[in-house]
Amino acid sequence: MAVVGSVNGGSLHSKFQTLPPAKIFNSQKRSTLHRRPPSPPIFISTNLSDVNPIHLQDLYSSCNHSCHRFPNISPDGRVEPVDVDKLRIALSHSSVVVSVFARPETVTSLPENLNTGGDWYRRMIPLTPFSGKLVGFGRAVSDNGLTASIYDVMVIPSLQGRGIGRMILQRIIRLLTNKGIYDIAALCSDQEMGFFKACGFGDDILGSTTMMYTRSGNHIMVKSAGRKVLMVPPLRKP
Amino acid sequence: MKTSTSSSLCAIIPVNCILNCSNQLAYPCSFSLKLSRGNRVLKVSQLKASFWESIRSGLIKNNSTQVIEPPSSTPQEDEEQEPLPEEFVLVEKTLPDGTIEQIIFSSGGDVDIYDLQSLCDKVGWPRRPLSKLAAALRNSYMVATLHSIKKSAAGEELDNEKKLIGMARATSDHAFNATIWDVLVDPSYQGQGLGKALIEKIIRALLQRDIGNITLFADSKVVEFYRNLGFEADPEGIKGMFWYPRF
Repeated sequence: MAVVGSVNGGSLHSKFQTLPPAKIFNSQKRSTLHRRPPSPPIFISTNLSDVNPIHLQDLYSSCNHSCHRFPNISPDGRVEPVDVDKLRIALSHSSVVVSVFARPETVTSLPENLNTGGDWYRRMIPLTPFSGKLVGFGRAVSDNGLTASIYDVMVIPSLQGRGIGRMILQRIIRLLTNKGIYDIAALCSDQEMGFFKACGFGDDILGSTTMMYTRSGNHIMVKSAGRKVLMVPPLRKP
Repeated sequence: MKTSTSSSLCAIIPVNCILNCSNQLAYPCSFSLKLSRGNRVLKVSQLKASFWESIRSGLIKNNSTQVIEPPSSTPQEDEEQEPLPEEFVLVEKTLPDGTIEQIIFSSGGDVDIYDLQSLCDKVGWPRRPLSKLAAALRNSYMVATLHSIKKSAAGEELDNEKKLIGMARATSDHAFNATIWDVLVDPSYQGQGLGKALIEKIIRALLQRDIGNITLFADSKVVEFYRNLGFEADPEGIKGMFWYPRF
């Protein structure tokens, strides 16, 4: 059974969870929906210090996820690696940081091999952020009062589709609502929209339009953000 | 006088303050950035709020995971990009009766909550809890305000003639993403390009720090206003989605 710790503003504790198989999880509602394979044993942490920025950079690369909304894409479809220093700054200013760790062998080996007798000693080692491999991540930036935005939710491709991303999102939401923040936004591309919809996100109730600054220019002062070259508005009086 | 107003607000709602404080200790955010740089061990114990965390961090041989700290050197300012001054006169005009009215732009974030509340009422926004509003302003990356100051023809400032006429704020993770919220201008001062100036200044400040993803959620009536400022709706299929609480 899943071990759910006390409900708290409790971002200091890390919790050890094993997920029951998918059908028990969903039994009350949508048992007719597709059965997803059960999640492997994982360790969810909401502690910022459990995140190693170098491993996080590797995770970004494995998931082919970029911090820029419009990244430069190389000819073989890979995005540019994320800048580690900027990542550190971003992490230190994110109100909520959720990281998920799994045993290294669950990531690399096939499901059938996991229960062979010879590895019993490896399974005796407790799973912690230091013994496990970073397989999932999510963060949110908020003003700790009214609003929050969720960014960079990702799970490595080999463990996708097993409920880990949903767990990350629910943990972020729970931490935010514990602080009294209910206005939670997430920017998503077409591929991510299905994931967010399935986790309870929808279009804005008030019908607002999402807009991003994309003005490029031949003006002297420009800044590049991924493949967009954004024009810096000049200083002038109205 | 204004600072005492906001501190008394904190005293009224202690629970919120406690939650805010514990989070600020656990995640090194802007609060801890202002601490002076001690040696590494001291810094770790200041960042971690719990006893066991500091024990565990002492046992770690490889300290590469502890390096969640801001860069020690400030980025160099290029000559061509002047840093934005914190407060300056945006517009100055002389009224028919001889008094001079100045509109002051400020990015210092010095906002009286009650002034803001009455400005929100003037533009017709629903009321929000004052404590949450105060917390949101404190933790925003940038709060840009417009005040109107009336001076007599001789140039002395008249009493009680400084009023808040516009505000915009942005939250950010200081590195990649920023979202602009709560842009408002007093209805009697609209149509003069003041809102445009507010937004342009915020964009300028964000881009100068290399923060490239600038987002906002626009009401249908103001989509055109932002489009003229260089914003694009749903660019390349990117949409904003909001969480719906399920009870």
